[in-house]
Amino acid sequence: MLSKPDSALIIVGHGSTLNPDSSAPTFDHAEEIVRRGIFGEVHCAFWKEEPSFRQVLHCVERNDVYVVPNFISEGYFTRTVIPRELGLDGPLTRFGARAVKYCEPVGSHGKMTDLLLHRARSVAPGVPPEQTTLFIVGHGTNLNDNSALAAKREVERIAALGLYADVQSSYMEEAPLISDWATLASQPNVVVVPFFIADGLHSYEDIPVLLGIASESPGAASAGQASIFAGNPYSLRGKTLFYASSIGTEPGFADVILDQVAAFDSTSR
Amino acid sequence: MNRELLKSFSNWLGDGPRIVGQVRISRAAESWELRHNDDSGELTTYDRWQDARALANLTEDGAFRPIKTIRDLRRGWRLLLASVEDVVRALDYFYPAMLGLWNADSRGELVVTDLRETLARQTGMYRVTQKITDPQAQQLCASHCSLCMKTMLWKIDPAQPITSLAPEKHQRASGDSLPLLCREACNFLIGHARTVVKKAEKEALDAASPQTSS
Ligand code: SF4
Repeated sequence: MLSKPDSALIIVGHGSTLNPDSSAPTFDHAEEIVRRGIFGEVHCAFWKEEPSFRQVLHCVERNDVYVVPNFISEGYFTRTVIPRELGLDGPLTRFGARAVKYCEPVGSHGKMTDLLLHRARSVAPGVPPEQTTLFIVGHGTNLNDNSALAAKREVERIAALGLYADVQSSYMEEAPLISDWATLASQPNVVVVPFFIADGLHSYEDIPVLLGIASESPGAASAGQASIFAGNPYSLRGKTLFYASSIGTEPGFADVILDQVAAFDSTSR
Repeated sequence: MNRELLKSFSNWLGDGPRIVGQVRISRAAESWELRHNDDSGELTTYDRWQDARALANLTEDGAFRPIKTIRDLRRGWRLLLASVEDVVRALDYFYPAMLGLWNADSRGELVVTDLRETLARQTGMYRVTQKITDPQAQQLCASHCSLCMKTMLWKIDPAQPITSLAPEKHQRASGDSLPLLCREACNFLIGHARTVVKKAEKEALDAASPQTSS
C-alpha cells in the first residue's frame, strides 16, 4: 500500500463560484485520503474557489509534492491553466529543494472503466446488461477539454468486455445527442451515466431535462437535486430508464487519485 | 498536516480565546470550541472538523459562499474539536489557505503579486481583463474588496498602490485576530474585472454607432 509520510498531495479541481457541488467530490476524496493517513499533508486547490492554485503552494511544508488534477480529461485546464498557475514546466518541476510532481488527470486512468461499470450496475441492480443500453454522457463541443474523446474511449473499453448489449457515448451539445436516447437505444433497459467530475447543473438539471425526466422550470435543480436519482427507474418512451449521478462522485475516485501518484512514480523511476 | 504551521498556530492560539475571521476559538473543558464570534446562547453542536465544510459553504439564506472571507458566515452553531490539528483542518474550510499564508508571511516567505502581473498571466476568456484601466481597477477594488475581510497586500503595479480603499484594508490584523492575507487578486475579482472591461467595450461601441431615430 502507498505510504508517503514525507510527501504532500495536492488535488486540484475546477470549482465553481455558483454552487458547492463542483468542489464537493474533490473535498470528499481528500477527506478519505486524509483518513487513510497515507500522505504527510493533503491539500485541495481550485480554479474558481479557494484555496486557489496560486495560494496552495504557500500552504505546503513537504518538499516532495504530488499534484493530481481531478479532471475528467486532458485539456486546457490540465495543460495550460494548472501548469501556469502553479509555475510548472513539465511532469517534474524543481523549486530549490522542492520537487513538484505533476500527475495525469484522474479521468485518464484505466480504472475509470471499472468505476463506470460499477456505477452502471449499482444504479440498476438486477437489471440484465444483455438487455440494456448503457450511455456514457459527456458535454461535447467544449474546446476546453477532450472529454468527448475520453467518453468515446471508455465506451470502446466497456463494449470490448461484451457485458452490455449496447454501449454508446452521447453528448449534451453534439451528436449523438442524449436527448435522442430513446431512438438511439436498441434495448428495453437504458442506463445513463454522466461522465463528469461532479454533480451540478448538468447532472441535476440539464441532462434530466434532455432525457425528459425533469421539466425545464428554473429552480428544478434546487428543488430536485439528488431526488432526481430517487425517481429511478423511469418508465418513459417505451423503455425503463435508470439515471446515475456523475461518475466523479464515486468514492473509488480516492483510489484513482492514489493510483495516479503511483503511476507517476513508476514512470519516472 | 503542515507541521511548521501547526506549531506556529498552536503557539499563537495558546489557551485562547482567539479570532480567525468571524470565528472565535476558545477552550471548552478538554476540547476546543469554535463558534461565530457574534454568537452566544443556544447553539447546535457539531463535533467533526469535516462539519466545518457545510457550515462554511452557505450563508444564512442558503447562498453559496465562493469567497469565504466575505463577512457572511452563518451563525447558530458550535464546533467542538479534540485537537489543535482538527482546529487547523476546520479553519482550512472556514478560511481556505489563510493559515498557510499567515504562516508563510510570518516566516518572510509570502510572495505578493501585483494586479498587472496577475492580469498579464490570464489566458482564454480572462485575457481581456488586461484592458482594465487603472481608474477602473481602483473602482473595482473599492466596490468588491471592501466586502472582504482580507488585508490587501498587492498594488496595481509597483508604483501604484490601491488608494480607493480605507487605509485599514492594507494593515494586517493584530492582537487576538489572525491576519487574513490577500497576496494576489482572487478569481472573484478577476471575474468582475472581465465584466467591467466587457461593459466598457460595449458602451464604447454603442457610443460609436448611435442608433438613428426614425
Ligand atoms: S482580491 Fe483579495 S481582498 Fe479583494 S475580494 Fe478578492 S480576496 Fe478579497
